[in-house]
Amino acid sequence: MKKRTMAILLSAVMAASMACAVSASDFTGDDPQLEKKVKILTIWAEDNDNGILLNKICQDYKDNVNPNFDWEYEMVSADDLRQKIATLAASNDLPDIFAYESGAPLLDLIETDKIVDISEFLAETGTEEYMNPGAAELMKGLSGTEDLYDLPLGLNVEGFWYNKALFEQAGVEAPATWDEFEDVLAKLQEAGIQPLTTGGSDKWGATRLINAYAVRANGNDIMTKAANGEVAYTDPGLVAAADKLAEWAAKGYFGEGITTVDMNTAGSMLMSGKAAIFYNGSWFTQNLNDESANLAGPDGIGFFNIPVVDESISTGTSYSMNCGNILAVDKGKYDEGTKWFLKYFMENMGNLAMDTLGSVKGYTYTTAVEDMSGYTQMVLDEIDKATEGFAWWEAKMVNEISTTAQENVQPLLNGEMTGEEYMQSIQDVYDLQ
Amino acid sequence: MKNVLGNRKAIALFVVPALVIYSIIVMLPVLWSLYYSFYNGSPGLKWEFCGLDNYARLLKDKNFRNALSVNGRYILITVIGQVGLGLVLSLMFRFWLHRCKTLVRTLVFFPVVLPTVAVGQLFAKIYEIQPNYGLLNSFLDSIGLSRFVQPWIGQSSTALWCLCVMDIWVAMGFYSVIFYGALLDIPDDIIEAARIDGAGSFSLFGRILLPLLRPMIITSLVFSFSGTVKMFESARALTNGGPGSATKSLSMYMYDVSFTYNKVGYGSVIALVIFLICVLGSIVINLFDVKD
Amino acid sequence: MKKAGAFIRGLIIFLVCMLEVYPLFWMLTASFKQQYEWSEKPAYALNSGFYWQNYSDAWTRGHMSTYFRNSLITTLISLVFIVIFSSLVGFAVTKMQWKLREAVAKYFQFGIMIPVAVALIPLFQIYSRGRLLNTRTCLILTYIAFGLSLSIYLVQGYLRSFPDELMEAAVIDGCGIYRLMYYVVVPLMKNAIVTVLVLQFFFKWNDLIFSMTFISDSALKTVQTGLLYFSDEFGAKNWGAIFASVSMSVFPMLIIYLILNRKVMEGMTAGAVKG
Repeated sequence: MKKRTMAILLSAVMAASMACAVSASDFTGDDPQLEKKVKILTIWAEDNDNGILLNKICQDYKDNVNPNFDWEYEMVSADDLRQKIATLAASNDLPDIFAYESGAPLLDLIETDKIVDISEFLAETGTEEYMNPGAAELMKGLSGTEDLYDLPLGLNVEGFWYNKALFEQAGVEAPATWDEFEDVLAKLQEAGIQPLTTGGSDKWGATRLINAYAVRANGNDIMTKAANGEVAYTDPGLVAAADKLAEWAAKGYFGEGITTVDMNTAGSMLMSGKAAIFYNGSWFTQNLNDESANLAGPDGIGFFNIPVVDESISTGTSYSMNCGNILAVDKGKYDEGTKWFLKYFMENMGNLAMDTLGSVKGYTYTTAVEDMSGYTQMVLDEIDKATEGFAWWEAKMVNEISTTAQENVQPLLNGEMTGEEYMQSIQDVYDLQ
Repeated sequence: MKNVLGNRKAIALFVVPALVIYSIIVMLPVLWSLYYSFYNGSPGLKWEFCGLDNYARLLKDKNFRNALSVNGRYILITVIGQVGLGLVLSLMFRFWLHRCKTLVRTLVFFPVVLPTVAVGQLFAKIYEIQPNYGLLNSFLDSIGLSRFVQPWIGQSSTALWCLCVMDIWVAMGFYSVIFYGALLDIPDDIIEAARIDGAGSFSLFGRILLPLLRPMIITSLVFSFSGTVKMFESARALTNGGPGSATKSLSMYMYDVSFTYNKVGYGSVIALVIFLICVLGSIVINLFDVKD
Repeated sequence: MKKAGAFIRGLIIFLVCMLEVYPLFWMLTASFKQQYEWSEKPAYALNSGFYWQNYSDAWTRGHMSTYFRNSLITTLISLVFIVIFSSLVGFAVTKMQWKLREAVAKYFQFGIMIPVAVALIPLFQIYSRGRLLNTRTCLILTYIAFGLSLSIYLVQGYLRSFPDELMEAAVIDGCGIYRLMYYVVVPLMKNAIVTVLVLQFFFKWNDLIFSMTFISDSALKTVQTGLLYFSDEFGAKNWGAIFASVSMSVFPMLIIYLILNRKVMEGMTAGAVKG
């Protein structure tokens, strides 16, 4: 008797779950044109970069596939994004889809079960093939999870941009090894040229430089190790990297008052020939392609990857890579309508980004663009060369540590702190966690 | 008379609506923060009761002490500067100015009207050193004092001063207009009489003007104090708390803790400290408000 | 000798005025600058041409026309309430006779001290539960509540010196409390009211933190939030357009200020000295 009931129950459960599975996993046919309004919160203006893409893809989906679809696009400034998301999350009112920061901030949302498992979504809708595998690996690595929880909106490499005319004037060439690099810097200074500039007031521009040397001298995974506690932040290798930045600043490579210069100004200084080298990501091509801003002209700026200290520790084809600010999907509002829209998003984003902006956003694409600018092509070539990627300085640090790491880079640049004190201040906060 | 001014219905009608709105929107959130201060994390994200942990943490927190000291110095310099220079300007207008009074009063009031973001940007340009010398550095350079050229807001030693100067600049016109109006209300014959008695400028000021201006000065001090305790927008606009944390105020630290570190509970504790400082400060200032 | 002294004094006052006015002028020139001028030329350089593109960018990209309307609506409605409430409460706690008046006055004064950020998250939750987020109502309510303390304080300062004799005369003539308010007190408080109006107008017009937090619907955003539209992901800023929008947002304030200037000055100082 008991057994029979069990069996019936079991089969009923199985039938139910199968019915469920069938109806949920059927994303092969036509779009059911569900009534749906999604709210999208981002940091890009509607006529700028990803803002264009997101609005275009919503419009396309509404025009071509689902007339019952509608969307609301909202933008906050990048500085206020975290605050906004924190307030919204606190009252369970996150938008359907929103821009966020990968790494530790995203991990908070994953751990509190606020956002959708994107790997599951991809499997369910059969859209895995549209995701660039490199981008997927990068993002999983950043959040340290097996599954993917975010959608990329960029696939960037970072490195040093340099002003070709100034290099010629000082008689130097783009360096491949770190020793050559130091040599180039010294020669530029001798020639009366300010060798380096960075966004000291935006802080992350400066910490990237510490990261550059730290990774090249200690290996691509050094910051992950530090975050896991395998290596102390006060490790001599990391202290040496911080000292490197302080040393450059003390030598006057950055000119005076570098902590007051923002990334935008630093970029203009490079383009107008006031500084020779500037560390930034591939998104910088946007400025380079702007003829009114780029006084160096369409071929005046070059790019070199972070020079190599020791090929056996970190190779010349490993790049600092990231996916920029990513998109996350709120779990509470996630339904069939969202899935269909996101399926369309996956299938078309790659081509759309290539067609409208000529850039790679982390999705596969099939179109080819003909009259691409030299700078855009240059970046695509660099991305193709990449065999391995590593993240930025603060990627693995939780908010509190990353704030300390960023804030204290300014006293480090000013000579008010030594490399050791700088790393110790990071270690102190780490120990508190 | 008493009946009219003691009309209970009227009092209720006058006071209650405002009282309700004010209590719900201003006072209730303060109490709410008190309740938050016993929790760890952010509501909606890892939210758990933690007793007095947040308060214990406050005592050990180096960043908090730093913010407290920054905020304290800022209040001291800025309040004295705003009210003091306002007073000096108003005396200048009262005794030196004979023409264009309205015009001058109008002009000096202008900066108060400007959005803080714009003022911050303007001063960042004034203090600029790279890529071009800003107003201040090019001035020093041109009069042969190039050894004083420095990254004014880029180094810890001068950044807070620069911030104070900016905020003093914004508000001193405002206070001078307040004091000037008050000075105009002091009849000429009182001043003349004192002069005839042989009072010099300083004793005139100390014995006659200062006592008469006292209520106005106290009001201004309260204004200035409550504005500077909240120190947030201007520092965010000019230095964003930097370099390092040399200009990071309590409010900015609280904002970071609550919204960047997602520790709303601890942030609430800091907010309550700010609130306490406000209350203490106004009590101290009001001590001077002895009614004769 | 005397002339030289007068000249120097005049010069100092002139310099002070220049010091205070220059930024407005600078802002105006800045709003006509092209992007490259920011890094190429010193900050104090005049604009090399009139680059109107900044204004059209601000107007179209920044949707300044919508934001202007929103700012005006929320600011004006909250101002009306602030003025009504603060004069009523101010009168009740200064001139009327009841037991709790001192306590209530102190209670309101407390608010001057409360840092805005303390209230942010709790308020967000209150509005969220009351389904008031993304409405003008919640912004207006917040503006009113946070404007009360200072306004009441100002009105109190003014009323302390208000002659009791006038009120007594009116009461002897048979005025009730409401007629007394309407015909005697309010007309005589005009200066104080204008002061409250103007000061609060500046505060509300410049508010960023509340409108940023409570309003996410683009159609309801205010001017100050609009200024944020010019900063993108990696910190690049279109300064020309920012200053064009700032100039546009400052302009109405200046006009209002110039019209009401004299009244404000009188209102702000009247009373307190004699009190």
